Amino acid sequence: MRAKSILTLCDGPTCIYKNSRAIRDALETELKNQGLSDEVGIHISGCLGMCSKGPILIVNPGYTIYGGVTVQDIPEIVQEHLVRRRPVARLAVQEDHLYNRFFRIFGDVDFFGRQMRIALRNCGIIDPEKIDDYLSVRGYEALAKVLTAMSPREVIDEVKKSGLRGRGGAGFPTGLKWEFTARETGNEKYVICNADEGDPGAFMDRSAIEGDPHTVLEGIIIGGYAIGAAKGIVYIRAEYPLAIQRLEKAIAAARENGLLGKRILGSDFSFDMEIRLGAGAFVCGEETALIHSIEGRRGMPTPRPPYPSVKGLFGKPTLINNVETWANIPVIMLDGGEWFSTVGTETSKGTKVFALAGKVHNTGLIEVPMGTTLREIIYDIGGGIPNGKKFKAVQTGGPSGGCLPEEYLDTQIDYESLAAAGSIMGSGGMIVIDEDSCMVNLAKFFLEFTQDESCGKCTPCRGGTKRMLEILTRITEGNGKEGDIEKLERLGQMIKKASLCGLGQSAPNPVLSTLKNFRHEYEEHIFQKKCRAGICSALVTYEITEKCIGCGACRRVCPVNAISGKRQERHAINQETCIKCGQCFTTCKFDAIVKA
Amino acid sequence: MVTPLDIIKKKRAEAVARIIGRGYLSTKRVYVGMATCEIAAGSKEVMEVFRQSIAKGGLKDVYLSQKGCAGRCNLEPTVEIVEEGKIPVKYGKVTPERARQIIERHLKNNEVIEEWLI
Amino acid sequence: MGKSITIHINDKPYKVDPGQTIMQAADKLGFHIPRLCYHPKLSIEGACRVCIVEVEGMKNYVASCSYPVNDGMKIRTNTPELRRARRDIVELILDNHPLDCHICDRNGNCELQRLSYSMGIKARHFEGERKNYDEDLSSQAVVRNPNKCILCGRCVRICSEIQHVHNLSQAYRGFRTVVMPAYNMPFSESVCTTCGQCINVCPTAAFVEKSYTQELFERLNDPGLVKVVQFAPSVRAAIGEAFGLEPGHNMEGQLVAALRKLGFDYIFDTQFAADLTIMEEASEFLERIQNKGKLPMITSCSSAWMKCMEQFYPDLIDNVSTCKSPMSMNGAMIKSYFAEKIQVDPKKILSVAVMCCTAKKYEADRPELMFDGLRGVDIVVTTRETAWMIKSAGIDFLNIEPEKTDAPLGLSSGAGAIFGTTGGVMEAAIRTAYELYTGETLVDIELENIRGLQGIKEAAIQMDGQELRVAVAHGLGNACGLLDLVRMDPGRYQFVEIMGCPGGCIGGGGQPYAGANSIPLDEEVLQKRAKALYDLDRGKTIRRSHDNPDIQKLYREFLQRPLSATSHKYLHTHYQAKLPRGIIPDRAIY
Repeated sequence: MRAKSILTLCDGPTCIYKNSRAIRDALETELKNQGLSDEVGIHISGCLGMCSKGPILIVNPGYTIYGGVTVQDIPEIVQEHLVRRRPVARLAVQEDHLYNRFFRIFGDVDFFGRQMRIALRNCGIIDPEKIDDYLSVRGYEALAKVLTAMSPREVIDEVKKSGLRGRGGAGFPTGLKWEFTARETGNEKYVICNADEGDPGAFMDRSAIEGDPHTVLEGIIIGGYAIGAAKGIVYIRAEYPLAIQRLEKAIAAARENGLLGKRILGSDFSFDMEIRLGAGAFVCGEETALIHSIEGRRGMPTPRPPYPSVKGLFGKPTLINNVETWANIPVIMLDGGEWFSTVGTETSKGTKVFALAGKVHNTGLIEVPMGTTLREIIYDIGGGIPNGKKFKAVQTGGPSGGCLPEEYLDTQIDYESLAAAGSIMGSGGMIVIDEDSCMVNLAKFFLEFTQDESCGKCTPCRGGTKRMLEILTRITEGNGKEGDIEKLERLGQMIKKASLCGLGQSAPNPVLSTLKNFRHEYEEHIFQKKCRAGICSALVTYEITEKCIGCGACRRVCPVNAISGKRQERHAINQETCIKCGQCFTTCKFDAIVKA
Repeated sequence: MVTPLDIIKKKRAEAVARIIGRGYLSTKRVYVGMATCEIAAGSKEVMEVFRQSIAKGGLKDVYLSQKGCAGRCNLEPTVEIVEEGKIPVKYGKVTPERARQIIERHLKNNEVIEEWLI
Repeated sequence: MGKSITIHINDKPYKVDPGQTIMQAADKLGFHIPRLCYHPKLSIEGACRVCIVEVEGMKNYVASCSYPVNDGMKIRTNTPELRRARRDIVELILDNHPLDCHICDRNGNCELQRLSYSMGIKARHFEGERKNYDEDLSSQAVVRNPNKCILCGRCVRICSEIQHVHNLSQAYRGFRTVVMPAYNMPFSESVCTTCGQCINVCPTAAFVEKSYTQELFERLNDPGLVKVVQFAPSVRAAIGEAFGLEPGHNMEGQLVAALRKLGFDYIFDTQFAADLTIMEEASEFLERIQNKGKLPMITSCSSAWMKCMEQFYPDLIDNVSTCKSPMSMNGAMIKSYFAEKIQVDPKKILSVAVMCCTAKKYEADRPELMFDGLRGVDIVVTTRETAWMIKSAGIDFLNIEPEKTDAPLGLSSGAGAIFGTTGGVMEAAIRTAYELYTGETLVDIELENIRGLQGIKEAAIQMDGQELRVAVAHGLGNACGLLDLVRMDPGRYQFVEIMGCPGGCIGGGGQPYAGANSIPLDEEVLQKRAKALYDLDRGKTIRRSHDNPDIQKLYREFLQRPLSATSHKYLHTHYQAKLPRGIIPDRAIY
């Protein structure tokens, strides 16, 4: 049964210090006493960033925030709020963090209750095509604050203080990147927003721009101010027409309101922006390739150093951040870097947006604090695996991420933990895999993508991924040979360490991680010619069991007449003739045909 | 001296005034998700139903707006109804037919259609 | 240079200068890190990944061609793991390469072959699908064979960075990546100037000249033909390298002897025609000065430059001298003046040119250079092809007794010899123009300011109180830079020399490949070849074109005087704007 209410209890260090653990015990006891244990769920959250008012307890629906809660207050809260549905005004606090607004509207669903929305705080709340809507939710206040009271140096210090790291995948400290670009001399510099989202199935950037384009613009303008640039470019893939249209509208509206152009908001700072469309090459998400593409050249990476912060677009110092990174900036400026750094883990601050997909109940776009575990995401937010199937693996980081099996479910989401587990944060793809998937076939699928998207420049990526794919293909087709696993590992390690850019350096991840965690499946494919998930058709045989009543449906549907049998007698499949199309399997109404 | 912060606060006040001028203080506010994903799931048609209904005068005192994607992909298109003093209500998998019923039952007769709620 | 820093290579400390790459530092310390796409004259590609090294503290290998040295850096260049990775990388290249070395143009002189040997690749682990594309044989000069391409990108870079032609680019992606002209146009329709620099830098045989050696061998055996050959100045300065000699040997005598052994009846010298060119060109220049003709006058000897001009600078057509190149002038004289002399139907003459150049193959085919329905030159072979023919015919080139060229088109002045190097045409022209203009002999004839490998060179010469301002550029990229100046300020110079290849003809697209221990287009090699020509000039008693007695005789007997009607018929031509596909007209004309 689904809980009617959800209580979110902050488990950040300050709240723990202020006795939140005792409050949790008291809550559980009280709920039990009142017979509400089934109706009310308790969710323990990482730091909610409202430490000064802690311990914090949030009651949903309604998103009532209680602060300074003591053990003695618990019976009153349960009795009044949960039983009689009357919030306890005495304890309620008003915390005006930007992200709170989202939960006033969305706080009442399991799916949203465990999230924390910073980058996507306005997505799904405001009309993205109306600058008024954005202005009404303190839009451009961060920019105004920066222009009124902060020097570029102070802006950079604030970003550094926040601990924000690049959300595009590599996780480089954003503040440092800004600092490197800012300290370059010369008055021609560029700011670029990387919106060339190329991971299959990922749509974090698209949603952010479609849902709240002004946040991204505001972040970029602040970045321009911090590093001393007068020009910003949003590089977005042409396959996102609506996002482009909304971005264009937003830029026009910002210009009209004096938020872009000469002397922004009456200050001395001038900045303008344009949109460049990418032609849908995955590699153009790599910053040097992206720069070449903007310059009108073939989108191919070049070796770094020199880094774009020194020699970027048109040879000038250039600051590149991805959409999600930019969207965090206004919040950091308004709520402070210090506040931001209370959210998340020791090394990874803030939240991360994920596109949750695959074999999970609630697919969708989520934003969770760093440090949330994979299990929480998949089971609490995602609602677990549908159709009673067993969880097999979760793949994070898009096509170049790794596949983590069950024993890694309690891994915390942060850059280091995911890397240690053999995967990557990436830009935020997360695909849940159940027992119906073949890991070899899955690795092949991802490699097919990266192999196809390789720019073709460096040898390891161009030639190596091709050879790996050939080996994987022959394994899935039943032609795997002794030594193939070793070859895959050898090539994979070499490609990882020797490739020119991030695409190649991460392309072998799906293969290497499945080899590590699901090696037995590879061995089964190669030596026993068996695919346990029944996905690799060449390795599947169909057999008719004693359940067969001899109806003849399978015989009639078989396109190659491989099935024979008398009426009302058990039929049989001639394995020589069978082409493994699976039609008999789907046709049989008596579960009498099995894959073996 | 007028600071950028002063300017932006003035702009916000004007923006809020304009939003209110568009009917934001109506008793019911209806938001239809209109991101690429929602549109792909059919939200344009749903939006059209609400728009038509307001245009033809069948719906009064309703503030209709689009919004971005909140992330509930598997339940799109979503429609959200916010009423002053009540807990916001979200409908998932809204079709034009469901939209018509939402108008009739929820918006006109204050009946929350429980089985379509998220 | 800042203070020196300490780096460790394979556990030993070394003091090196900061601000250089790991590869540069290692080179100086005697560690030759294997490499493939790297070329010191071109931008850093970082594509092949053969030059990777291990750097302590770095997660991944580092490409030594691009990564700078830092103080305290600990580098390993030869660990077993690294060796295996490098080996695997080279094998990946081989796995997508035809492996038909024994029938390949670059057999025995292929960088991939050498690399594969030094990597110790004795077995193949990753064989699989191999690419299969058609060769592009459409061009008269350059053959593109994508099957042999290893995608090092050198050709792309030299075509754009040094030559500014931008004809080549990678197309498609991943395993299907191919280097090709825009829209995969046939080379003959592309903006390729046929300079052949892509051939020079290609580590394999993905670019080679279109070979005419078989056809030539056959026609040399045709008893009905009078076989006549001419050879360019730069050929003699470089052909020795193809036989293992150090650069800088003048092999003129050996070449003449070898050509005779190959079956040619008459051996003429393109240097003679260079003298002839100077007579015409210097006269044309003076005429332009005196009659207020279009200035600056721009030289027209370099065929790649001519195509470049027609495509990208058609607005300067009237500035370009109407003189044909020395090769075409000689071809015209062979089939007119000389044919008359030996009383042979010009159609029965096989006119062959041995050139340092690939573009001359294209030039020989140009219809606007024909006269009386005849081509001046029937077959052009490069220095490389000629060296191969000599080897193939079993001629002991290095030990052969040197011989002399034949009359009447074989004797040349020192001015004709220096035609092969950048600045040489200008220097030769000034030697004659000065005398024609002032009536006095130029004493100090070695014009140092326009010698050497600087990209654009300028000089001012006083002629009868008038200042003659000249400029010289070599390599089409430098040429474009110079011509952009000319477009902006047409009065800046009166005379401009352009040669399409780096260093001039001595660095032509048909010169011998770099050997195992050198790099293509090494400046030192170019300088040595140039020196051979300057030494040749200095060793001659006749150093001015107009002093060449055979030139004087030619005018007496046949042409009458420079710019005469006969001259115009055989020695001059006109060029036309060419707008290749993809070039927008008004942008091409600025």
